[in-house]
Amino acid sequence: MKADHYLDAIGLSCPMPIVKTRNAMKEAETGEILEVKTTDKGAKADLTAWAKSGGHELLEQTEDEGVFTFFIRKG
Amino acid sequence: MTNRTAIIASNGGIFDAYKVFNIATAAAASEHEVAIFFTFEGLNLIHREASQQLPLPEGKEHFAEGFRQANVPAIPELIGMAQELGVQFIACQMTMDVMGLAETDFVDGISVGGAVTFLEFAKEADVTLTF
Repeated sequence: MKADHYLDAIGLSCPMPIVKTRNAMKEAETGEILEVKTTDKGAKADLTAWAKSGGHELLEQTEDEGVFTFFIRKG
Repeated sequence: MTNRTAIIASNGGIFDAYKVFNIATAAAASEHEVAIFFTFEGLNLIHREASQQLPLPEGKEHFAEGFRQANVPAIPELIGMAQELGVQFIACQMTMDVMGLAETDFVDGISVGGAVTFLEFAKEADVTLTF
């Protein structure tokens, strides 16, 4: 999937992935896609909940060797 | 409509600081309007010097290593981030009087208020938490 914005949150722990995602999303326009990479296992549930509460769309979520990748479309 | 989160911080250890600031920054990052009322030992969490070196609970000193390994942000960093996200810090006037503290003893950008100041904010809150 192709993203318009990219955020590397690898190695960061709660609440940093959410805070950085929020800040990165502020820079994006509605409809644009943000790709987030994180190693925080809690972020899996957290980013899903965050996207939902903010009216964003979680398009895709994958895991590869402990790195979680999220594609979120700004709502 | 914006959600509102009201937090009371009344304890002054490093565990307490993480509980308070993690929830506060997560709420603010989810576009909640957030205020924290710091009272009694909770004032340590925003004290200029004390907040730099908050104690671990007695017998739990070994968790210091866990904090390092988990790459958890330092408390001063979380304080700065919370303020950037618009979290309001309210220091309890009465406790400050009891402890002989002045507004200048605290990090910049706080306000000083009494219980009613907090209650005015909290009465419209969707989430209310005490730590």
